[in-house]
Amino acid sequence: MKSAKEKRPPGQKQYYRRKKVCKFCVERIDSINYKDVKLLSQFVPERAKVMPRRISGVCSQHQRLLNDAIKKARNIALLPFTTE
Amino acid sequence: MRHYEIMFIVNPNATEEEIDKINAQLENIITSGGGTIEKIEKMGKRRLAYEVDKQREGYYVLFTIVGNGDIIKECERRLRVMDAVIKYITVRTDEEVRRLEKIRSYRQKRAARRGSGAGAAPGPSAEEAMQ
Repeated sequence: MKSAKEKRPPGQKQYYRRKKVCKFCVERIDSINYKDVKLLSQFVPERAKVMPRRISGVCSQHQRLLNDAIKKARNIALLPFTTE
Repeated sequence: MRHYEIMFIVNPNATEEEIDKINAQLENIITSGGGTIEKIEKMGKRRLAYEVDKQREGYYVLFTIVGNGDIIKECERRLRVMDAVIKYITVRTDEEVRRLEKIRSYRQKRAARRGSGAGAAPGPSAEEAMQ
């Protein structure tokens, strides 16, 4: 992504990127529970991997909690490890 | 004493009585070990995210208990032995609850300070919505 930015010819308009905000900070969701499949599945895209922070915009503290919760949920078959 | 959650999945072919029997057994272990049961929640049949023991569905049961490690050890041993139980997980929750309380009290304090300083602030109303 960085290289594309460097290659941009001078004078071309730089496109506007919206600032990402942490969903958990904004909505003040304190507890990220492993049972809350609806919430967790928002951060588990198709391939069943954990969505990276650079995409979701979640802050580091919440990403850590989210990661723990997703792993617990996987353990008890609420979320998949992979897609078949 | 620590707070725990034990969640386990029972084979979907098990009857209601069998599930009740398992619950009664666990209850017995917990109470005889000096622990207390806060809640038993039958979450019902759910689709599993992946195949476990050739099953695609499972009956989820959740225990919320207060006790010590020995009780958990015994419960897990029993769950392992039971044929109808296909998966279980134990999660300690007291640390998480304490963390949440800390956040909540901090927010309340901040909201109170803001409220006294500049009249009704958006903080307190958001705080109420949280609870």
